[in-house]
Amino acid sequence: MAKDLNAFRNERILTLVEQGEITICEAFIMMRKSSSPTTKGDVEISREERIAQIQRELSLLIGLKSVKQLIQEIQAFVEIQQRRISVKLNSEPVVLHMIFKGNPGTGKTTVARIIGKLFREMGVLSKGHIIEVERADLVAEYIGQTAQRTREQLRKAYGGILFIDEAYSLARGGEKDFGKESIDTMVKAMEDQRSDLIIILAGYSKPMEDFLQTNPGLNSRFPIAIDFPDYSAFELFKIAEGMLKQRDYQLNKAARRKLFRIIEDMKKKDQSNFGNAREIRNLIEKSIRKQAVRLVKKQQSSRTDLMEISNEDIGEVLEV
Amino acid sequence: MKRVIILGQANVGKTLFTLNFADYLGAKTINLSFQDSQRGSYTRTISVKDAVDLLVSDKPHHTRCLQSAVLQIPWGKGVKHFEIMDSAGLIDGIHENEPIRRAMAQTLATVRQAEMILHIFDCNRIAKQDILHGVAEVDYQVAQFGQLRAGYGVLANKFDLPQAKEGFDKLCQEFPGHCIMPISALYKQGFREVRDFVKRQL
Ligand SMILES: Nc1nc2c(ncn2[C@@H]2O[C@H](COP(=O)(O)OP(=O)(O)O)[C@@H](O)[C@H]2O)c(=O)[nH]1
Ligand SMILES: [Mg+2]
Repeated sequence: MAKDLNAFRNERILTLVEQGEITICEAFIMMRKSSSPTTKGDVEISREERIAQIQRELSLLIGLKSVKQLIQEIQAFVEIQQRRISVKLNSEPVVLHMIFKGNPGTGKTTVARIIGKLFREMGVLSKGHIIEVERADLVAEYIGQTAQRTREQLRKAYGGILFIDEAYSLARGGEKDFGKESIDTMVKAMEDQRSDLIIILAGYSKPMEDFLQTNPGLNSRFPIAIDFPDYSAFELFKIAEGMLKQRDYQLNKAARRKLFRIIEDMKKKDQSNFGNAREIRNLIEKSIRKQAVRLVKKQQSSRTDLMEISNEDIGEVLEV
Repeated sequence: MKRVIILGQANVGKTLFTLNFADYLGAKTINLSFQDSQRGSYTRTISVKDAVDLLVSDKPHHTRCLQSAVLQIPWGKGVKHFEIMDSAGLIDGIHENEPIRRAMAQTLATVRQAEMILHIFDCNRIAKQDILHGVAEVDYQVAQFGQLRAGYGVLANKFDLPQAKEGFDKLCQEFPGHCIMPISALYKQGFREVRDFVKRQL
């Protein structure tokens, strides 16, 4: 009976909206009143939600699927070790120093920054900030000063992450180079300050691997290695946009959509060969020529016309 | 089968989200149901790709028919199905146009049937205009109504645009305590979180 009344009331709300008697806002208020409330908890943002927010931030980074997955695993691992400790089970040592391998601009620093925040929320790091350094920040020209300079950076990074870009340059000069001294200082610090500091060594894949091979002791100290892969379709699309912008062209809406779709398809068809920006450049240059052909037929063209690449200008590279 | 309705103001990207999310979850087709004063109501099924060209538009109130699709999410060894339903853009006042008012009423009717609400905002618009226009009165009402249900999530769309981050921050301030997921409907970014959100409610 009460149910029927509710249904009737709801029907009435719809009619009122349709007849333009009430606004949608009013309709929602009325609907709220007639539906039985199921109470939800209070709204204070919890640790879980903050962690979820950071995870969302991570997930929103372009591409980086395997990176995200690995971070999820690391997070789960850390969390479970914490829980095991809390019930006094044996737990694995949690060593979180990392190696980041990949080309420039693949998101290494950004990911490091997010990891910092994540670990802070999880209670692994007290601050979670990140100090970015390269060889020159760690290595001095004179004997005895390198250790001091390295310690200085370690001190700044304490409670967070020390991110060393092009880390292999520390091994540049071989055994006698001061880079070695810097590495030794770091390794010592890693042993002393077991928990509240994470060091990340970053750089191009190949030299990074060579570096680790010539310094085998590092592998066990940096147990987490993450590969940052090359561009995804979306990243490639962004590259294409950048190339056009540089040349004073821009895509209109339909063209953007079409270009993205083509890049997606190309990538799907040819996984192995479609890793770099060369094909994107071909695609862009072809569309610039096609636009020229289209415009030259007209007597006049405005500045906007000259800049705009429309969807008919974009086609597969293969049809050249 | 549980139902998810996509709500939000005009042009925030409801239709594009519905279609691209359907595509993301592997759907091949979309059902369109029309309410025609002459022909009565009828339905058509078209491919997701055609639907994008046909239905996504810069003009407000372009969505007159009701798009929906049955989607699936991996669940253990199998899958679970749910229905996603697009809707017409919500407005604050009373629209002078009768068909648009009818579309509003239809949206409200659909809201009542749905177990879940995904409420979409255009981050870029929120950043560019002041919060009063990016977030309308009707949005606050939807949020309050949504709170009564378990499955209410906010999607901060157009995150690919330059000012989106700013808009996203404003949105978080405006709706504290809600699950706010940044996405780009256009480039299918952030969809995994949305999928997981929906999955949790199934
Ligand atoms: N840049 C960008 N544009 C979007 C995004 N989502 C939707 N749009 C555009 O916003 C406009 C309105 O989209 P539509 O889905 O029709 O909005 P609706 O009225 O809410 O259904 C279209 O031009 C879309 O291409 C997005 O994530 N990023
Ligand atoms: Mg629409």
